[in-house]
Amino acid sequence: MTRPAWGLAIGAACALGTQPGSAQRVTIGPQFVLASYREVSSGLQYQGAGFGGAAVARWRRFSAEAVVTRVTFNPSGSTATLKSFDATQIDAWLAYDIAPYASLEAGLTHRSPSPEFGAQSVGAVRVGARASSEIGPGATVSFRADYLAAPQFSGGGHASLSLDLGLGLDVRLAGRLHAIAAYAFQHIDRKDNPGGTAPDTPAPIQQSLARLGLGVGF
Amino acid sequence: MRHCGWLLVLVVCLAPGAGAQTPQNADLRLALQAYDNLDFTRAITLARRALGVRMSGADQARAYELLGFAYSATDSQVKAVDAFKQTILLDPDRELDPSKISPKITSLFYSALGQVLVVRQLRVDSARFVGGQGTVPIRFTVTSPARVRTRAVSGRTTVLIDSSVATGTVNLRWPAQLANGDLVPAGDWLIIVEAGAAQNSFSASQAVRIAYGSVDTLPHLTSLPGYQELPETEVAPQTWRPAGLAFLYTSGALIGTLGLESTTLGSGSKRELSVVGAAALVAGVVMTLRKPAPRPAEGNILYNRLLHEQLARRNQEIAQQNVTRRKQVELSVAALPKPSGGR
Repeated sequence: MTRPAWGLAIGAACALGTQPGSAQRVTIGPQFVLASYREVSSGLQYQGAGFGGAAVARWRRFSAEAVVTRVTFNPSGSTATLKSFDATQIDAWLAYDIAPYASLEAGLTHRSPSPEFGAQSVGAVRVGARASSEIGPGATVSFRADYLAAPQFSGGGHASLSLDLGLGLDVRLAGRLHAIAAYAFQHIDRKDNPGGTAPDTPAPIQQSLARLGLGVGF
Repeated sequence: MRHCGWLLVLVVCLAPGAGAQTPQNADLRLALQAYDNLDFTRAITLARRALGVRMSGADQARAYELLGFAYSATDSQVKAVDAFKQTILLDPDRELDPSKISPKITSLFYSALGQVLVVRQLRVDSARFVGGQGTVPIRFTVTSPARVRTRAVSGRTTVLIDSSVATGTVNLRWPAQLANGDLVPAGDWLIIVEAGAAQNSFSASQAVRIAYGSVDTLPHLTSLPGYQELPETEVAPQTWRPAGLAFLYTSGALIGTLGLESTTLGSGSKRELSVVGAAALVAGVVMTLRKPAPRPAEGNILYNRLLHEQLARRNQEIAQQNVTRRKQVELSVAALPKPSGGR
């Protein structure tokens, strides 16, 4: 994912968030993050915690969401040679409501580790749908399923099936204050062929991420 | 036999003028006593003698009425009718009670009534109306066909109310306006009815008092009669839908996660899903158990809005009507005690 693409996505989200209008609603706030990361085999397991921030803007039938998280992953398996690494992930969505309870969305996702070779760096385009329901005054629960198209990896390879599932909860606590909880499960069926001659070697990537935080609505 | 029959009839009838004040003329009093004693000849003699001297109009009318009764009892019908004609001319509003007076006397009385020209029973009803929007009812009876002119007179001001050939009962409506359309000035007015036919003429009058007043304005409405505002919020019935939706969405995430998990990577701890899923389920249960918050009732809001618009429109109309009413005058017309009959 190139820098201009990220700039375009974030700029679009900000543009939606700053437009005047009575139907406009913006929620922004910090989040605590829990995450699990696996790669290639059951021996590469990491768990970690971190922090992040999310911003959601709504304008008429359009909505935009941007999430940035930074998680420190520590090895959780028995392999002693694994080292910790930090992962910064940026997700962005643009959605259009096709019904009061359903919307189509498209966006980007990008995760980069630090140090660079601690894990695979991943970038992809999201295309999917989201269903949401109001379960009470100011309380909304949502479910999201995105297909990650055209994934790119720092270590090369390709993925025929890459999906991202999400569960979201937004509860207005009082006035402008919201409590936000979100779960995202990302499965990338990556295959790699280092030598170029042998058959493709499966090198799947799997991450589950939970975000818990507060948001202030405007 | 014939005389006896009439005597019986007259005995059961009241004497003429019964219940009225005692006449001042002695001969008339004696005549009434003679009539009561069925001495009709003496009653006629005494009544005629009484008419030979000066008497009040009421006594004169009473004397002629006694003569009419006595002549009727003695079968002198022409004389009876003449006597009744004099009675009617002296007191045009005089009536006989058919339930107390014999039919023969009554028929002679009405025969006399048809042979004279008088204006009877002139009545001006009391009225209260906004100037230009109402009328004063005037009614009277003309006993014979005649040209009848009805006027209202106050000082030097004369207003012609009606002029027509009429007989029988006449009903008029007077708008209490001058010829130029202005309202008549407040004060005492005399409604004069003049009837003329050939050499005969008669007039009757009724005094009325006309007063001005301000027209009452209409109060503004705070609600429309028969229509009440509806509550603009309603509380939805408590359901398990929130918990059900939370369970459905969490289950979807769980099933999706389990289905997508790679076997080569092993089974994860589901820590993240547990945290967020539990939060969603708790939120669903809390929202289920929580008393539903009142929500806007769109239908009622629309109804109330229409009601307010209707009320505002009605008050606007009332305000416009009040502007007009403040420029109007209310006329009160009251009949005054009637002066002496006519001539």
